[in-house]
Amino acid sequence: MNAHLDQATSKATGRLTRVRSVGFWAVLLVGVASVAAPPFLDEGQQTIYVLFTLSVIASVGLSLLMGFAGQVSLGQGAFYALGAYTAGLLAKQGAPPPLALLAAPVGTGLIAAAIGLPVLRLRGHYLAFATLAFHLIVLTVIAEARPVTGGDLGLGGIPPLLPAPFATPLVYCYVGWLAAAFVILLTGNLVRSRPGRGLRALASSEVGAASSGVAVGPDKLKVFAISAAYAGLAGGIYAFFLSYLSPGSFPILLSIQFLVMATVGGMGLVWGAVAGAAIITLLLQLLQILASQPGLPETLPAILNYAVYGLVLVLAMLLLPQGILPTLRDRLSRRWPE
Amino acid sequence: MGLLLQLLLTGIAIGCGYALLATGFVFIHRVTRVVNFAQGGFAVIAGFVTYSALAAGLPHGVSEVLAVLAAALVGLVVGVLIIGLRDTPPLAALIMTIGVGFCLWALEVAVWGDQPLQFEGLGGVFAVAGVSIQYQYALIVAVTAATFALLALFFGHSYLGKVFTACASNPYAARLAGIDVRRVGIIAFALGGGLGGLAGVLLLSLRSLTFDSDVDLSINGFAAAIFGGLQRPWLALVGGVVLGIFEQLIAGYSRASYQKAVSLFVILAILVWRAARRREQT
Amino acid sequence: MPDGAGGPVLEVTDLVVCYGAAVALDRVTLQVGHGEMVALVGPNGAGKSTLLNTICGILRPAAGSIRLAGRVAQVPEGRQLFPDMSVEDNLRVGAWTVKERNPAWIYDLLPKLAELRQRTAGTLSGGEQQMVAVGRALMAKPDLLAVDELSLGLAPMVVEQLAEYLKRLNAERGMAILLVEQNARLALDICPRTYVLEAGQIALEGPSEELRQSQAVQAAYLGGRAELMDS
Repeated sequence: MNAHLDQATSKATGRLTRVRSVGFWAVLLVGVASVAAPPFLDEGQQTIYVLFTLSVIASVGLSLLMGFAGQVSLGQGAFYALGAYTAGLLAKQGAPPPLALLAAPVGTGLIAAAIGLPVLRLRGHYLAFATLAFHLIVLTVIAEARPVTGGDLGLGGIPPLLPAPFATPLVYCYVGWLAAAFVILLTGNLVRSRPGRGLRALASSEVGAASSGVAVGPDKLKVFAISAAYAGLAGGIYAFFLSYLSPGSFPILLSIQFLVMATVGGMGLVWGAVAGAAIITLLLQLLQILASQPGLPETLPAILNYAVYGLVLVLAMLLLPQGILPTLRDRLSRRWPE
Repeated sequence: MGLLLQLLLTGIAIGCGYALLATGFVFIHRVTRVVNFAQGGFAVIAGFVTYSALAAGLPHGVSEVLAVLAAALVGLVVGVLIIGLRDTPPLAALIMTIGVGFCLWALEVAVWGDQPLQFEGLGGVFAVAGVSIQYQYALIVAVTAATFALLALFFGHSYLGKVFTACASNPYAARLAGIDVRRVGIIAFALGGGLGGLAGVLLLSLRSLTFDSDVDLSINGFAAAIFGGLQRPWLALVGGVVLGIFEQLIAGYSRASYQKAVSLFVILAILVWRAARRREQT
Repeated sequence: MPDGAGGPVLEVTDLVVCYGAAVALDRVTLQVGHGEMVALVGPNGAGKSTLLNTICGILRPAAGSIRLAGRVAQVPEGRQLFPDMSVEDNLRVGAWTVKERNPAWIYDLLPKLAELRQRTAGTLSGGEQQMVAVGRALMAKPDLLAVDELSLGLAPMVVEQLAEYLKRLNAERGMAILLVEQNARLALDICPRTYVLEAGQIALEGPSEELRQSQAVQAAYLGGRAELMDS
């Protein structure tokens, strides 16, 4: 009987190891490909690449919040905007751009901690609504604070992050890549740490977590602040990359976009957010190309955009509530013949 | 003085419109525990249908009824998607309603384009205490009052209404009593759709109609619903009216662009305060 | 085993029900004939409510079969009324699946309820609520009445009264009753035949008289423990 048990266990472990090694090789492949790609892309594609890395950062942050605190935030775009304006304003005031960039996640994290204190008392749909409201309020504040932020007309003339020879889109590709890689590694460590495991308990049951010694209050706040800081970092890079900001760059749709990316790849998984960001970016680009063909109605790009967001959200929740990566992982581990 | 009165009366009327939307939220939530972020979408689709019906030559009254029915149908479909196919956990349901909102956007842009449209409501104004009020506002208040009365009758005295109340009160027991709670939930969605459509038909003639008009409506409707804890329609009515008046006052005495932000801030403050009070009690 | 016309009203065969990986019911087999009163006793967590919920179609079995020759209605554990609705409304809601929505016949059967008809269900005493729960289940005109923990939280006198009602239902109307109970003494008193469910499996079955005499049953269910339950 023991021999049977050992055999079963080793079969299961073997299967898991094989899936894990597939994951390892996949990550390696993705890493190598993403580093090697930028020089071969034209400027337009490089821009898409940069924005993709930024959306990865923001989506990983959101995925962290959703997966580990079990809460939906519709305000990630607001933190992205806050980070962008923080970095842009500081740089315009004369701060060295790299320092301004560092200030972006720090400042955003602090703001998030400040509003999180009252707002995180809310749960579920109330929190979702509150984060949405927060995004709208931030947009209004930016638009109204004309003397500081340039209001609706926008904030232009933001100096580049690195001086002259390094101010090309190619350089920003690698800035974005480094930031994304850093965020992914950091989150991976966070997730595996002891507090990280306690947080996962948070997501499944707040009562359970509290009774197991994980303080619900401070940890949820930390995750919220970290998640916002990620978005702030991405926003900061965005400010330097585009050198022009306006409230119109950060509509509610942006928060939804991050939500879709974080949801579809696999909630609560770091690589899930990456996969989600990649899928959505590619999908949207594809549709953009298709819909911009001459002869097609002008509104088609917008229609397809909305349809993609809508259908992806609905279908993902219906068919793949776990997200793409976990479903793939399940399928793979079941397929291995024994 | 005249300005204040006008703002108050306008606020009451628009607030009633928000309240209709809010009751849609409330009924759906009570029976299915789902918060339908696409509630504003029901209003907008009804607005568009009204526009098209009127443009096609159908008379007033018929167009509006058609629009409300269309919205109820959309509500039904949404209900089937969200709770009819499988047991959806609340977080997923919330995300799905957001997705539904976008699908509606895509549909609306495809059929009606992305430029603002306008359709006529009840034209003309009348005077109240020296202030001129649009007939449309009076209509909104009248329809809201009638709707609430009908709903009270429905839930208080009809069999289906009692079954509804039972499902909202104790879905497990309702299931045991042989009630198909899922089917009742879908009916709740259709009812929410109809109420949302009614709000849309009434409110959207007062402003220009675009596919993203639903954001503002959803936010206001949800805020009003929160007054009643997403459970009680009468409190949602109070909440809607208070919100409507508050918005009008801000728009009248301050800058209109602050309107949204201040309302939201106040709503958030109320939410947080209530949550804090509940924590202290437990 | 008394059958009605042509077979039992409830036939459960080799039923297996799982909660995720945990097996709640492990190949359970039991029958209730038409017009029979059958008891199912067992300790807390044995799977009694799981069995009832599966019979009523709320849970799905992983294996095995359930055959119902007619309708089943459940009187749930803890009454589970609609507390803000009146007694009359509580009763009427129970008739969702049948045409007859008028609870007049329930008032004939359980006259106490007629006095309470306009009272709000949440304000009633435990025993009164239990009666409402029974009435609500009866409104569905079932062929089998499944009663889950009749005695839970109720004083012995009240329980006796309710038991009388059930016995009358059975005797006068031929209603088949499956009584699920932790209070074994009560169950053995009321029902001529009993099953004992332990850890998801039928441990014992037979005429209540015999089970009452059995050493094992006496030790586990009728000794000091049962006494504590009664008081």
